[in-house]
Amino acid sequence: MKPMSLQSRRHFLRMMAAAAPLGAAAPFALQMATMGSAAAQCAPTDYRALVCIFLFGGNDSHNMLLATDTGSWNRYYAARNLGVDPIALMPAGTPPAAVGSVSPVTGRTVSRTTPEFLGGVLPITPRTRNPIPAGTVASNRTFAVHPSLAPLFSTPGNPWSAGRLAVMANTGPLVVPTTKTQYATRSVSLPPNLMSHNDQQSIWQSGAAEGARRGWGGLMADTMLAQNGSNAVFTAISTAGNAVFLSGDAVIQYQLTTAAQPAIRITAASGATLNGSSTAAARLREIVRDTGPTSYFGQDYNSIVRRSMDAADAVNTAFATPTASGIPAPPPYVNPVTGATETNNLATQLQTVVRAVAAAPALGITRQVFFVSLGGFDTHDVQNQVHPNLLARVAHGMAYLDTALGNIAGLNMRGNVTAFTMSDFNRTFTTNGDGTDHAWGGHHLIMGGAVRGRDMYGQFPTVGVDQSGFVNPDMSGNTMVPTTSVHQFAATFGRWFGLSDAQQLTLLPYLTNFSNRNLGFMI
Amino acid sequence: MISLTTDVVDVRGAASYYDMLTASAFVNYRTLLERVTLHPMMGRYLTYLANQKEDAAGTRTPDENYAREVLQLMSTGLVELNPDGTPKLDINNRPLPAYTPADISGLAKVFTGLSWYNATPTNTTFFGGNRAADASVRPMIFYNQHHSISQKAFLGTTIPATATANGAADLAIALDTLFNHPNVGPFMARQMIQRLVTSNPSPAYVQRVAEVFNNNGSGVRGDMAAVVTAILTDTEARSATLADDPGYGKLREPVLRMTHWMRAFGATSTTGLWRVQSTSGNTSLGQSPMASPSVFNFFRPGYVPPGTTELGSRMRNAPEFQIVDEVTTAGYVNTMNLAITSGLGTGNDVRSAYAAELAIAGNADQLVDRMNRLLLSGQMSPTLRSRVLSAVNSIVIPASPQSAIDQARLNRVRTAILLVMASPEYLVQR
Repeated sequence: MKPMSLQSRRHFLRMMAAAAPLGAAAPFALQMATMGSAAAQCAPTDYRALVCIFLFGGNDSHNMLLATDTGSWNRYYAARNLGVDPIALMPAGTPPAAVGSVSPVTGRTVSRTTPEFLGGVLPITPRTRNPIPAGTVASNRTFAVHPSLAPLFSTPGNPWSAGRLAVMANTGPLVVPTTKTQYATRSVSLPPNLMSHNDQQSIWQSGAAEGARRGWGGLMADTMLAQNGSNAVFTAISTAGNAVFLSGDAVIQYQLTTAAQPAIRITAASGATLNGSSTAAARLREIVRDTGPTSYFGQDYNSIVRRSMDAADAVNTAFATPTASGIPAPPPYVNPVTGATETNNLATQLQTVVRAVAAAPALGITRQVFFVSLGGFDTHDVQNQVHPNLLARVAHGMAYLDTALGNIAGLNMRGNVTAFTMSDFNRTFTTNGDGTDHAWGGHHLIMGGAVRGRDMYGQFPTVGVDQSGFVNPDMSGNTMVPTTSVHQFAATFGRWFGLSDAQQLTLLPYLTNFSNRNLGFMI
Repeated sequence: MISLTTDVVDVRGAASYYDMLTASAFVNYRTLLERVTLHPMMGRYLTYLANQKEDAAGTRTPDENYAREVLQLMSTGLVELNPDGTPKLDINNRPLPAYTPADISGLAKVFTGLSWYNATPTNTTFFGGNRAADASVRPMIFYNQHHSISQKAFLGTTIPATATANGAADLAIALDTLFNHPNVGPFMARQMIQRLVTSNPSPAYVQRVAEVFNNNGSGVRGDMAAVVTAILTDTEARSATLADDPGYGKLREPVLRMTHWMRAFGATSTTGLWRVQSTSGNTSLGQSPMASPSVFNFFRPGYVPPGTTELGSRMRNAPEFQIVDEVTTAGYVNTMNLAITSGLGTGNDVRSAYAAELAIAGNADQLVDRMNRLLLSGQMSPTLRSRVLSAVNSIVIPASPQSAIDQARLNRVRTAILLVMASPEYLVQR
């Protein structure tokens, strides 16, 4: 666990280094300058939004963010360059190989679904040198990302280089700080049902397993609900079905479609007549709005119908304003594995998010939480066919979000919106022949104008399974034990969103078990 | 279950899987478990078809997908259960996991070496080459050269290491172990009650059904016909008094509402092909047969709808609410209105002539009585009845011409069906 002082200290040192030529008064002056530039960057409202991008199925982040120092890379490559369809990515600097050619790296014939086709991993250099974890032989750790993430990390104008994108290492649900030994011997309290999809999805979002009713996105929004005024029903918006993340004590999620008019109406109950009769239409309206107390199921169902009917006009009107309707569609998406142009549903959802951000002033909304998702990450097999496309969709969607937020009717709203990934769990470090299985701690992406980007947060672990005398202090079998908890991750967003320390401790029950409650990735 | 949302599942294979489930609804659970396990579409969907044994160094491990999900979703569930389906608790009041990661790794070795049926199996056919024409509808076979021979330990059972692989024998031991786990009765009982009767059965109801699973009265464990009978004939399924409790019953799932309409009104396919098409979109039903987003299906048995004033505040389970939101509620009424009015699917392929309903459409009381019988099992409330009557009577049947008479009768029928199927009384099965 990285103590808070280290985080704060390295930021302070960075500021001092930058300020040194300015003389003794520099830190204060620098602080003012930083504030000034932040103000210029932001739109003139107090609007802030969190966008959760949930990667359903358990993203294999071992192939998303990689340590490339010799020892780490060799252990990674040895573990994954195996089986009928090896899933080890190619070393940094490897050019993409043509289909049908023989790879000089592996000696294998290249197809569109082999890692050789993609070329090597893309090196990245975080601003802060990552501490060398105990038990690893590397003297300097270097890193890279999956080649599919080029739009986020290497394409000109990418948010990483611009300092708007950060990576969060080895994060997962924890009750208390937990070591490999404590996990192996079950000597500390552990989150329930580790490695179970539905439960870990729920725990990432809410801290509790299946059946949870409140998530930290909704609870954070609860504290800001009063300032959202009469249209508070739009505080928590999903484009991806019900997500406990968005549910607070008072905040209830509102579901939108990705259509131009995102709210849909019950046509038969909204028209003047039904089957030629105005009475029939009126009776239908009464029936679908009846929340009489005969059945809890019926009452709750029709409450949702009422909410849908009552808000539909307001949301469609707000989305029809030139500012919101003028948000450009995502650029075409090309599947890197097939070469085919496809619809990237994640980017489509993010377009709805940007339109909602653009519509927020008209609705009087100043704090929002969003939930969007991409499924298919449960890559037990055919990982080479599936995973490069999924990560490319994430990159395409997030790069679009970054671009679109940069110009909302002339305003740069990047500093007002922070997006981040979550996923069920990371996958096993080893391959099962053509895929990976369920594991625990994983890496994540954080993006926005208020993010201290081009940096890595948390502790990137030692990688590699125990064998031939090598003992990995951070992995139990082929599972990474998280070194940062989801609640520390959440609290860092909460602080930016405007929550007090006391509010954070109340709504993130395990936060009290961790001394570092600000991971430092937000301004 | 399997899903067509992934391209590893082919259409013919999926139809075969569905047929297998239909044919196996009332067989012994052990037989069902084996049929599911050996179906090539399950092998594809949960990725253990052509799953190879671990390598000698132990670096490459078998695919754990099916081992995990067959435990979590199809047999034991996550935590140890009491006979009434409530979780067993440790001294700190925490549930006890039913299995560990080591159990998963051990069981995963059993599901190695299975692949496509072939009359003359070879390494080529193991990896999917020279596929037999009916491979996607024939049970998978073991290719013992790819089946693990090391020790396989799971759930207290240990299959010792062997020099000669015997996949079929290992599978029998594994499925017997799962079948005989004491969790299976209460785990299956509670979920089947949730599907058939009520979302929140009492522990006593679960236990009564679990006991029938454990022993059908003739000493047979796993008799699913006896289990279904026990569920449907239980006091908790039959009592009118219990059914009046506002917490009783379950939300009907959208696809079953659609098929209910088709059955109740004798809908037929114009082409004979039943081209219903996908109803998965959230502006449609938000659900389509064989098209759930994952093996966890459309909704979870432990789902409690967040942000609901009645169910949520009481911590009640309402699995079907997991796909209920501001969009799907409107999508349902719009989709059914279209189906009732014009038909369902490509070219409105599936539609009803409403012959029986048109015959009585002139008499609003008779028409509403029929709705009550076909859609509400005679439970229509006076309030709903008066609303539907008001709507039906507002559509006046003229004296002539015949075309106007026919249209008015049709409008009455359509109105009556839509109003009832949109009502909370219909949406909640009690």
